[in-house]
Amino acid sequence: MSPSTIDTELLEQAVEKLPADALMPQRKQALTQFAATGFPTTRHEDWKYTNLAPAIELSNLWLREAARGLPELAVSPSVREYAGNLAAGIDAHWLVIANGLYRGNLQDGALEEARGISLPGLEIASIASDDVARSMAASDAMTHFNTALLRDALHVRIDADHEPDKPLGLLVIDDASAGATVSQARVVIEAGPMSRAQIIEYHASVGRHEHFANVVTELDIAQNAKIDYLRIQDRDRSHFQIGRLRATLGRDATLHHSALDLGGALIRNDVIAEIAAPGAGVELYGLYLADGTQHIDNHTRVDHKVGPANSREEYRGILSDEARCVFNGKAIVHSDADGTDAHQANHNLLLSDKAEIDTKPELEIYADDVKCSHGATVGQLDKAALFYLRSRGLDHAEAARVLTRAFAAAIVARTRIGNARSHIENLIDRRLEELVGGSL
Amino acid sequence: MLEIKNLKARIGDAEILNGLSLLVNPGEVHAIMGPNGSGKSTLALVLAGHEDYVVTEGSVLFMGRNLLELDPEERARMGIFLGFQYPVEIAGVNNAYLLKAALNARRRELGETEVDAFEFLKLAREKMALLDMDPALLNRGVNEGFSGGEKKRNEVLQMAVLEPRLAILDETDSGLDIDALKAVANGVNSLRDPEHAIVLVTHYQRLLDYVEPDFVHVLSDGRIIRSGDKSLALQLEEKGYDWAREAANA
Repeated sequence: MSPSTIDTELLEQAVEKLPADALMPQRKQALTQFAATGFPTTRHEDWKYTNLAPAIELSNLWLREAARGLPELAVSPSVREYAGNLAAGIDAHWLVIANGLYRGNLQDGALEEARGISLPGLEIASIASDDVARSMAASDAMTHFNTALLRDALHVRIDADHEPDKPLGLLVIDDASAGATVSQARVVIEAGPMSRAQIIEYHASVGRHEHFANVVTELDIAQNAKIDYLRIQDRDRSHFQIGRLRATLGRDATLHHSALDLGGALIRNDVIAEIAAPGAGVELYGLYLADGTQHIDNHTRVDHKVGPANSREEYRGILSDEARCVFNGKAIVHSDADGTDAHQANHNLLLSDKAEIDTKPELEIYADDVKCSHGATVGQLDKAALFYLRSRGLDHAEAARVLTRAFAAAIVARTRIGNARSHIENLIDRRLEELVGGSL
Repeated sequence: MLEIKNLKARIGDAEILNGLSLLVNPGEVHAIMGPNGSGKSTLALVLAGHEDYVVTEGSVLFMGRNLLELDPEERARMGIFLGFQYPVEIAGVNNAYLLKAALNARRRELGETEVDAFEFLKLAREKMALLDMDPALLNRGVNEGFSGGEKKRNEVLQMAVLEPRLAILDETDSGLDIDALKAVANGVNSLRDPEHAIVLVTHYQRLLDYVEPDFVHVLSDGRIIRSGDKSLALQLEEKGYDWAREAANA
């Protein structure tokens, strides 16, 4: 057994230890599919720059335990504290998924461990086996891994025409204080026709041991529904995460997605948006801030299956120290997608000459009547601007912070979720302080 | 206030300043004139602390301190202001934010309390009126999308708000129409009193009709080759820089 492959025998044993519930047939099917491929390797074009070996090693370590059966863990005080602070910072209906298990919602900052909570216009339940079956069709290896080990997940249904009074928050938090862990989180969100909702997917982790989170989110946006989505990743600087959001858009539906990556050691995010009916609009914005030896990889893919439809994308990154980031934005305009209007951009600011970005905006066009553009830039802080600010009395660090903040602000301004704005501005300021401080 | 002795500076391999000496006292207005490439902008940038320029010889004292060992921000806080020939556009950094941060950096240095948002706005509006500037420019990005004239006025606005001990204005008059020129001159004259000194770096005599200098210096090949009163500027206008050079060589 090579050290960089998952031990499928252990995986099989771990699956057998899970409860013999309605999800079991799907787990077994996913196990078979996963065993055929294993984790993606750097030989795979989409994973060229992201080596999952550390996540595989950790998974094997954890599977040895899981193969003997995992103890049921209570939600720790540090998770409760984190959740409480978050609820105080962002006003939202918060649901908590801790170590892959749906744990209830936050009431006045405290965790209510009741299941099946009710919010007007929303149905919130554990995932059903047919949800999993449905999402299997368009799955990748990491989704198979997620499904094979799935214990619990969350299904959110937003009623037709409904608009919740405040954002729906999903806190995906992992606790690695008792030992190294691996978690599989799974969320399915269905937005009914004409519904309007703001959704915050918030990733965090506590605890000093190693952790690897594998998160799969499915988002089904029915006709005329409008979803503003904000993903914030602020995990511990030693933890790994692979996350995948797959969104399908119906006629005239819109998805406005913004992403903020601040933490983690090894992070890979995939956003896949499928425009399946005319009139849909997809906007993807992202900001990644990395220092130390952080590795943050953002892959996005917009499938224009039909036209007319619009997609807009802009990701920005600020890298310091020996951070390494990857951006790959792909727009695929299929042959039936005349009338497509797709634009992508990726801009990067390198604060250190040891930081590295691999950026690749990609267009694949099979239709004739389309308007598409893409571009990428990589640069350093503008020396003339730095001198200008210093000549006005701002010290070097402050001038650098002001310029990096301005660079980041272009993405922050895109976020439509007003309730989260000051929270993310604070997170970014705190992080830029570290990035800029380390680069001077 | 400012004492420059035998200053030599280069950028890359090019020697630009070649033994320049100049004394500026409080209350004085000096005009430094000279043809393109004579070292006018280099002098301004060296005094502000631009790191691309290396001083190879000579000394600069400001308020009795060795200016050359100070960072640009320390010089600014001590009261040196450079009005840039080509002010940079800084998208996403609010003009009012910068102006307030700059003012408070200066006030901290002077041991004064920082201004609050209300006091700041009052001061900024007052100075903008003096310069006939659109108050909306305060809420834009620094020089972002400003016209050439607006950028120059913005420089003078910063100067007027900061009230530096020594203002060095590098071709602030170039590219301005007559209204803008008068507005800029208004701003410069507002700083004029026995405490403050002004160095106007300019190519043409035009601005000097509105801001009367006490001294005029002609810079050529990195040195001051001739000094005089305001009539020297008129002579230059009439006879050209070659006349000054030939006279110096004779």
